[in-house]
Amino acid sequence: MGDWEWPLILFTVLGQIAIGIILMLWWLARDRAHLDGQLFKRGVKVSGGLLILALLASLFHLGHPDAAYRALTHLSTSWLSREILLFLLTFLAWINLYRQARQLSSGHALRTDSATMAVAEIEAGQQTNSLSLGLGITSVLGLSGIASSAMIYVLPRVPAWNNVGPVLFFLLTTGLLGALCTLALGGKLLQNTQKKFLLKWSLACTSVSLLIYVIYGSMLSVSIEGAASLTFLLNSPLFWARALLGWFAPLLLLLSLLKRPQIDQTHLILTVTLLAGVGEILGRALFYLSATGIQITALF
Amino acid sequence: MSKQLGFLHNSEKCVGCRGCEMACKNEYQIDPIPQWRKVFQLREDDFSLPSRMFISMACNHCAHPECLRVCPVEAYTKRDDGIVVHDPERCIGCRLCTMACPYDRPQFNPAKKKVEKCNLCYQRIDQGEKPACVAACIPGALALVEITTSLDQKTGVLKTLPGLPSPQITTPSLRFVGPKQGKQIRRD
Repeated sequence: MGDWEWPLILFTVLGQIAIGIILMLWWLARDRAHLDGQLFKRGVKVSGGLLILALLASLFHLGHPDAAYRALTHLSTSWLSREILLFLLTFLAWINLYRQARQLSSGHALRTDSATMAVAEIEAGQQTNSLSLGLGITSVLGLSGIASSAMIYVLPRVPAWNNVGPVLFFLLTTGLLGALCTLALGGKLLQNTQKKFLLKWSLACTSVSLLIYVIYGSMLSVSIEGAASLTFLLNSPLFWARALLGWFAPLLLLLSLLKRPQIDQTHLILTVTLLAGVGEILGRALFYLSATGIQITALF
Repeated sequence: MSKQLGFLHNSEKCVGCRGCEMACKNEYQIDPIPQWRKVFQLREDDFSLPSRMFISMACNHCAHPECLRVCPVEAYTKRDDGIVVHDPERCIGCRLCTMACPYDRPQFNPAKKKVEKCNLCYQRIDQGEKPACVAACIPGALALVEITTSLDQKTGVLKTLPGLPSPQITTPSLRFVGPKQGKQIRRD
């Protein structure tokens, strides 16, 4: 069985939340009228902070973090090299977003002083297109980085990982926590249609995650090592805590949020975001803990 | 790559004395925790009759090494003679190779915070000498061989033994002369 890989748990989950937020901002920016400037700035700052924390956390996994730059040297076959490259590119693309976020505030000031509304609208349109392009590039790079992260674990030695499972789990975490954090960050800055979409998206991610996990679990028993992973999961209280906090509670809360839009949603959204976040962290811990590799079955 | 060097282990001759383990430790002054070479006792249940058999295993210098594929810093290289060499100077201690190897042969040294493994004494081989473990094996159970089709076609040469991972994962350069099963006589 594996170990508590805290640096990797933090790196993957925080990195996925950061990229999930940017992905959701990209969706909101698809139409120039949809993305609120304040939300853009808030989202960019939070996602950047999380991305920096994630990259720093990843260094603690290494025996020699001072030589981490060397991890870029084997792009031909190593998914770890590709992951590092793509995350660094994502960070560079985020710096561009941060620059745009800073310009956005000065842009607002200019428009207040301007007497010509038509010119302001054209400027605003160009700015939104530029934001959308920046968000799109960052999202694509980030999603490629997340897929590379997942591919690191697709190892023939570990039957529980040697399938499409890691890629799906990592992408679903990105979708779920990205949408929930955007909802939590957006608050009243989001329009009702946007809130509804993000809630529906979160519900879909949670449902698909649960469904895929059931299918994944049923497939594990095919090999001895996979069956050992499954037994570990089913006997672990952490797994049941993950199921409760990460699947069942968010499903109920999201359904209630969608059915009763008239109630004050702020606290419920924060609660569901927190629960899903804890659930995903436990899920990622179990991902590492339950990994059973093919090995020599000798006496000593 | 013109050839593939590897080990031939004769499980019939091996007495489990661990002389090969000690020779390896002596040659490279390895810290206590990483074991570049390790002697395993095979499980009796895997054979039809009760047997006490050992295998000695170091890095298998696989034809398709997973360690080399996953390593992000190119710490692993494969020489023309098929030896998979690990360069500790390049290693950053990410431990991905330890996760990928089904034989658990690249091992993390917690003192140095780097991975280490057997390099098949390539310095000795280059000087025409035998690897330390092979030279130290008193019963002559361990031999350095070239892995060829003709070797695999010899009677009694096996690619794997019960209890070992499937050789299809990495195509290890390790062959066995399988243990002969003794006769069991029951006196009722």
